[in-house]
Amino acid sequence: MFYISAASGITHQPTFQNVGFSNSIGTVSVGSELISPNYKDYIDAGLLRRMSKILRMSVACAEDCVRQAAIHQPDSIVVGTGLGCLHDTEKFLNTFLTVEGLLPPTSFIQSTHNTIAGQISLSIGNHGYNMTHTQNTLSFEQALTDTMMLLAEEDNHVLVGAADEYIPFLDVIKEELELMAPVALTSGSSFFIASKEKSEQTLAIITDVETVGLVVDVSSAIDSFLSKNDMSPSSLDLVLFSGADIGVCGKVLHFLTAHGVNEDKIVDYLPFSGIYPTASAFALHYVIDKLGQDKNLTNVLICNCLNKKNLGLILVQSCEA
Amino acid sequence: MDNLKEELKKHIIEQLNLEDVRVEDIADSDLLFDQSGLGLDSIDALELIVLLEKFYGIQVTKPEEGKEAFRSIETMAQYIRKRKTAV
Repeated sequence: MFYISAASGITHQPTFQNVGFSNSIGTVSVGSELISPNYKDYIDAGLLRRMSKILRMSVACAEDCVRQAAIHQPDSIVVGTGLGCLHDTEKFLNTFLTVEGLLPPTSFIQSTHNTIAGQISLSIGNHGYNMTHTQNTLSFEQALTDTMMLLAEEDNHVLVGAADEYIPFLDVIKEELELMAPVALTSGSSFFIASKEKSEQTLAIITDVETVGLVVDVSSAIDSFLSKNDMSPSSLDLVLFSGADIGVCGKVLHFLTAHGVNEDKIVDYLPFSGIYPTASAFALHYVIDKLGQDKNLTNVLICNCLNKKNLGLILVQSCEA
Repeated sequence: MDNLKEELKKHIIEQLNLEDVRVEDIADSDLLFDQSGLGLDSIDALELIVLLEKFYGIQVTKPEEGKEAFRSIETMAQYIRKRKTAV
């Protein structure tokens, strides 16, 4: 268990520096743009000029979180990303295929997944543990699991988040990615300050996180996760759920409704986030904001079944729980 | 007007993505790797090496040559002319 002391996001919704955004979100439509801040307010111009979209979004959110939490430095930086810095990867590979002779270094250097955590570290001057988790659609949940372990040891504050970016090539290979894509593939970035101790800054409690790769028995996985935390499906006030009534997502939906969760308490977050491998980080930001707005909410489960083989579970509770 | 220097400035702005810099903002004698000039860094130095090969067919093989050549637009233009003449 740990506490969330700050949250920030750059998505298609007005998530950046906007407490209460959960009351005014709409579905992502074709052609809608990410709602971005003026990046020059958050990132040094010398670094900004060579940053791709995913880096700009991540560093700005990270900076915003550190400012909100009013901490000097987090003890660690942990990032989850499903597909990493795709823009720079594509740029480097295209140059590699078409240019003879020396290759420009910037896109190569910034094509690796761990560039995100590295650039955040450079931007805020952090010298602590710096880790990137890339586990397909469970990357964010893996980052949260790492965070939970760090806070159980010596860390007091961890900057944890997730980001992914869209490039048009994803539309060509989305079948191979096994992502359900009823809504548009897109980009998004959400970051949080996770803290060991509860404080006046606390926004929500992350009670538990679990990932199940190659999930077989969805019902048992959810049941045992909730039981482990002394909860039952009927005690959930809200479930954030990714997907439609098919495959693993269908099994999740049937399990929940068969065990006393009303359908009006189950919200599919993908129409609001758009689809990217770490969209569950948007769901967590949404839940945190919702808990701040609606005092009747106490227990919320985020069920990430974006990829039909994986199941990610995050149990979030209000500060009053 | 020296066409080579103007061309170099355009290539540098484009290659290094210097978003807020215009050709007329760069003086021929400005120090490229100093905060009083363009404030470039080590990654930019690598980009300049690539730029010289891409646009002028010049390979910088000796590090000490690059250090002097990349001091300013003036010295870069001199270096290009010298290497071209030597061919």
